[in-house]
Amino acid sequence: MNNILLIARREFRQVAAMKSFWLTLLLIPLALAIGPLLTSALDEEEATNVVLIDRAGGSASAAIEQRFALEEDRFVLRDLSRYVRRHDLERADPEAIWAQYDRWYTDADVAAFRQAGGLESALEAIDAVRSEDTPPYEAGAPLYSFANADSDLAASTGDALQARVDAMLEADDDSPAGEAADVVVLVDAGYPQDPTVRLWSNEQPSTGFVTTLQDVLTVDLRQRLLTDQGIAPASAAAIQSAAPAIAVTTPPPGGGAREALLIRSIVPLALAYILMMALMLSGSWMLQGSVEERSNKLLESLLACIRPEELMYGKLLGALAVGFSMILVWLGCAAAVVFFTQGAISDMIRPALEPLTSPGAILAMIYFFVAGYIAISILFVAVGALADSMSEAQGYLMPILLGILLPITLLINVIIAGQEGLLVQVLTWVPIWTPFAVLSRLGMGIEWWEMVGSGILLAGFIALEVIFLGRLFRASLLATGQKPGLKQLVDRFKPVRT
Amino acid sequence: MSVLEVRDLTKRFGDVLAVDDLNFAVGEGEIFGFLGGNGAGKTTTLRMVLDIIRPTSGTITVLGSSPDRRNTAAIGFLPEERGLYAQMSAIETIVYFGKLKLMSGIDAKKHGMELLERFDLADRAKSNIGDMSKGMAQKVQLACALVNRPQLLMLDEPFSGLDPVNQGLLEDEILRASQRGAAVMFSTHVMQHAERLCDRLLLLRKGRKRFEGTLEQARDELPGRISALATPEIAGVPGISAATVRNEAHGGWAEYDIRLDQGYSAEQVLESCTAQGIRLRRFEERRPSLHEVFVQLVGSDQEIGS
Repeated sequence: MNNILLIARREFRQVAAMKSFWLTLLLIPLALAIGPLLTSALDEEEATNVVLIDRAGGSASAAIEQRFALEEDRFVLRDLSRYVRRHDLERADPEAIWAQYDRWYTDADVAAFRQAGGLESALEAIDAVRSEDTPPYEAGAPLYSFANADSDLAASTGDALQARVDAMLEADDDSPAGEAADVVVLVDAGYPQDPTVRLWSNEQPSTGFVTTLQDVLTVDLRQRLLTDQGIAPASAAAIQSAAPAIAVTTPPPGGGAREALLIRSIVPLALAYILMMALMLSGSWMLQGSVEERSNKLLESLLACIRPEELMYGKLLGALAVGFSMILVWLGCAAAVVFFTQGAISDMIRPALEPLTSPGAILAMIYFFVAGYIAISILFVAVGALADSMSEAQGYLMPILLGILLPITLLINVIIAGQEGLLVQVLTWVPIWTPFAVLSRLGMGIEWWEMVGSGILLAGFIALEVIFLGRLFRASLLATGQKPGLKQLVDRFKPVRT
Repeated sequence: MSVLEVRDLTKRFGDVLAVDDLNFAVGEGEIFGFLGGNGAGKTTTLRMVLDIIRPTSGTITVLGSSPDRRNTAAIGFLPEERGLYAQMSAIETIVYFGKLKLMSGIDAKKHGMELLERFDLADRAKSNIGDMSKGMAQKVQLACALVNRPQLLMLDEPFSGLDPVNQGLLEDEILRASQRGAAVMFSTHVMQHAERLCDRLLLLRKGRKRFEGTLEQARDELPGRISALATPEIAGVPGISAATVRNEAHGGWAEYDIRLDQGYSAEQVLESCTAQGIRLRRFEERRPSLHEVFVQLVGSDQEIGS
């Protein structure tokens, strides 16, 4: 055992001294960290600056501003409601509109929200009952800011208007107010007889903006048409605002139905991915460890001191230690992210960790993860035992790696799509794919007998691998330079005759 | 007491008989030369002694027990094919092998540094093997073989690839190991080393023992030769199988190259010459070299690669 540990320690130290190890070790956490940072950096933080030119009396531009303000408040109300529900803060004011989340918030609901003091008043009530552990609510920045055109712009027509608008669209966002715009909307003097509304934008305008603008102007147009038909403005407005009350039932944020199943699958699926990544990234180190003594011609020196099996187990143990330490660092980084990230991620992770509340599920995940790593690592070490040099070993490795990993990517996609067809069943019972299939299915639900049966089969497969690897290793060790044919290869798996 | 004893050892690889019924023993403090041409079975025998490969039949006893890794602490081995971990330093490598031979890290490091000092490599102890010359790396590997102060030191073609200075250093280490009581067994193609070092020799040909004994006994395997300046009557002296004239001289004298019959010594021939009144101006015994013995018993110069 001492020799095995000595070999394993040397293997580990050798890999840990490589730059590629540290690059790989840090690559995944860096990629995970840079992804959200890039996303947040690319997110537009500044509101879209909209300049309105209303030459039809001003009522249209007022309606537009009011409507966008209403939508902003509706968004805040919905967001606040989800926050309250996620953190069980309804007790702050059970009657408040933001504590009611069984409906789609109507204009009347938004009006009631405003009437009750809006976000400021709601947060006062919420903060009074919020525990220290609960992150405070953070309202997002408004999407749009509106400004009316200055007199020059309002009076400009033709080419002068176009030149002025172009200048505003091209101007830097830091330019003085009124000299820069992201969107310019012109309601001309002929409105509503001429219902054309012009819109200039410095980029493709968002669908949400155009839809809302169209909606506002449609309502405004219809209001005018209805009143022109002799209908009282109040009646016309009532007709316009008639809308069904839509009752909405959704799972709590991060729970329930399909969303819940997917979230419950996050940890097992992540483990399946991590297993796949770790094997792909550490495969070449395992090969190098396996080939090294042969390519460096120091095999006989070692075998004068230790048994071939000790060398093999030591190398395997070293490779496993490298792989698992890499995985532990990744998981540690993920845990640190969850710990230090207050809010959405930790809220999402909490239901994702639900499967971990069962000791059986934890054991199953650890077992299939570890066993999967061992089962495939042994294949890599066996490939190394057959090759004389690293380049030769890598030639063998690539097709094997593709053969193992391609079905797994298909499998994970099938599981995410919520399907459990023949492919999933077959892969569950083929030992090299068993760990991935079982891990992927853990969140969605897998029959216990399937898990136990495939687990036993996997253990048996590993035992066979160890026996055959031992024979192959011993038979191949001193066969440097000999290219085995199929018969010689088969012979190497036979027991050693003493 | 025999440190290594080999009895009726045979190894077959399929149809190839690599070692054929081999018997020998190496005692404490003895330097044993294991000589043979390419493919004679030397390395195969050493591998069987180390339990790297198993014999087809026969027995091997190392320090009283069958060969396995329980004897690791007592064995030092320098293989013919040499290499080390390029990324490890010299002293790390020696300590690593010391530990594999069941030494404590402290003892392995202490003795490893002593060896490196003897090999004039102390200042390179922390250099990576990959940064060293081939000769330096070979000395580090020798240190790995010696670090555990082995009772059985086996060296497979140890002199190949070494410059004359390092060959001398290796000879010193072999003698040093022998003086402290270790059984030393080495294979070589270079007969001068065997002549200088070996107490006993074993000559292998195609897996089969052709000779085992001391250097003198090896020389006795070939008929003796005499170089003499004599008169023609010498050809009739008993014990002389052939007397070939090399150079004619004045007055009936000639320089003869004389080959003796098997079993006759130069002293016996000289006594006969004196008894018969045969005149001699010069009488010089020429013992066969080990190289000649080797070529005669094992094969041609080409076969032995020297």
